[in-house]
Amino acid sequence: MSDASDRDLLAAEYVLGTLEGEEAAEAAHLLETDAAFAAAVRDWEGRLTPLAAGLPPVAPSPQLWDRIEATTASASPAPVQVVPFALRRRLLIWQASTGAALALAASLAAIVVLRSPPPARVAVLAPITGGVPMLLATAEPNGVLRIRPDGTIVVPTDHDLELWALGAGDTRPRSLGVLPASGARMVAVLSPGTQLLVSLEPRGGSPTGQPTGPVLYGGRLTDLE
Amino acid sequence: MLNGSPLRTAPGVADDTATLLLRCGNGDRAAFRTLYDRWSGRLHGIALRITRQAPLAADATHDAFVQVWQQAHRFDPARGNAEAFLVSLVRYRALDIVRRRGREISGYEPEERADETPDALAQLVGSAEGEALHRCLGLLDTERRRLVVMAFVEGLSHSELADKLSVPLGTVKSWIRRSLLSLRECLAT
Repeated sequence: MSDASDRDLLAAEYVLGTLEGEEAAEAAHLLETDAAFAAAVRDWEGRLTPLAAGLPPVAPSPQLWDRIEATTASASPAPVQVVPFALRRRLLIWQASTGAALALAASLAAIVVLRSPPPARVAVLAPITGGVPMLLATAEPNGVLRIRPDGTIVVPTDHDLELWALGAGDTRPRSLGVLPASGARMVAVLSPGTQLLVSLEPRGGSPTGQPTGPVLYGGRLTDLE
Repeated sequence: MLNGSPLRTAPGVADDTATLLLRCGNGDRAAFRTLYDRWSGRLHGIALRITRQAPLAADATHDAFVQVWQQAHRFDPARGNAEAFLVSLVRYRALDIVRRRGREISGYEPEERADETPDALAQLVGSAEGEALHRCLGLLDTERRRLVVMAFVEGLSHSELADKLSVPLGTVKSWIRRSLLSLRECLAT
């Protein structure tokens, strides 16, 4: 059987939901990194979704909307602006450099200023143990936070990276959500000086609401001039 | 093209759903609320069938709608249908939640559920895509058809299916693969 056909079957099994262990991890990885695989998954989602049509609807509790509203209402997302891919490539180039994070933030300013509207704050997240920056976060004035991990971050099987915000003077970080491997757009109101932290958590995120795994990356949000 | 047109399980709704998703992507709270009113029952029903516990189903539904709000801009009507987008979000969240916690298979014994497979099949008739899937599932052996429907609807993994049917894991995998190949071939015609 051809590789393409194998891949398509893996996509089908992923959508069906039967994969476990290594195969599940492989599918999840391909979904984030391989556009053809992602398209195959979308196709299978379209093919198999009618199977869910027969399930009886069950109204959730009236409190569920309040919960969803509370989670999503911390700020209103603005109309989506496409983050130029060039930005990601720049990140790769910066990564190759060993310059200090501050210098990186400064050079970043020169680039992001070209965008409209410019992000108000940026954080460059580097490994806590030292080393070159691995993630770039931009917080726009309207509350949209974008975080772009570099493609080379490897997340162990059955784990996710979770993003946390630790405000200046706070003792407990609050979760901003689990990071998909290809980058994320989140909504959060963050003051300057807030530290962004990324921890390694079980798949789906910390079960406790606080980091349970090691904090891998960190960086402080800085205002752009 | 299977994905080219929206599903018609409820006439007219899918088109609206795509529009609502696009509006959510633009930060339209009213559209988000409408989408919730229209879809929360169905998505929660799907989550409940997979998680089998009300609090977990509520979590999955909550997470799915938060993702809808945060990721609606990822929805591209040219590349996928809105119903599949929504159903997939809640299914993956529900699957993540039960796989992460480890599910007590012995906690439920779906004796009565054996009857729900034909029910799920009967429900397929009524949309063009559903009818095509119904026709193609009809080409499979009863047992294999049941396996595919059960996997999708109940969210059972390969090993859970093997346990439940008392069949070796390799056999389950091979049955499922062959069934999916057959479906792919049939749906392409």
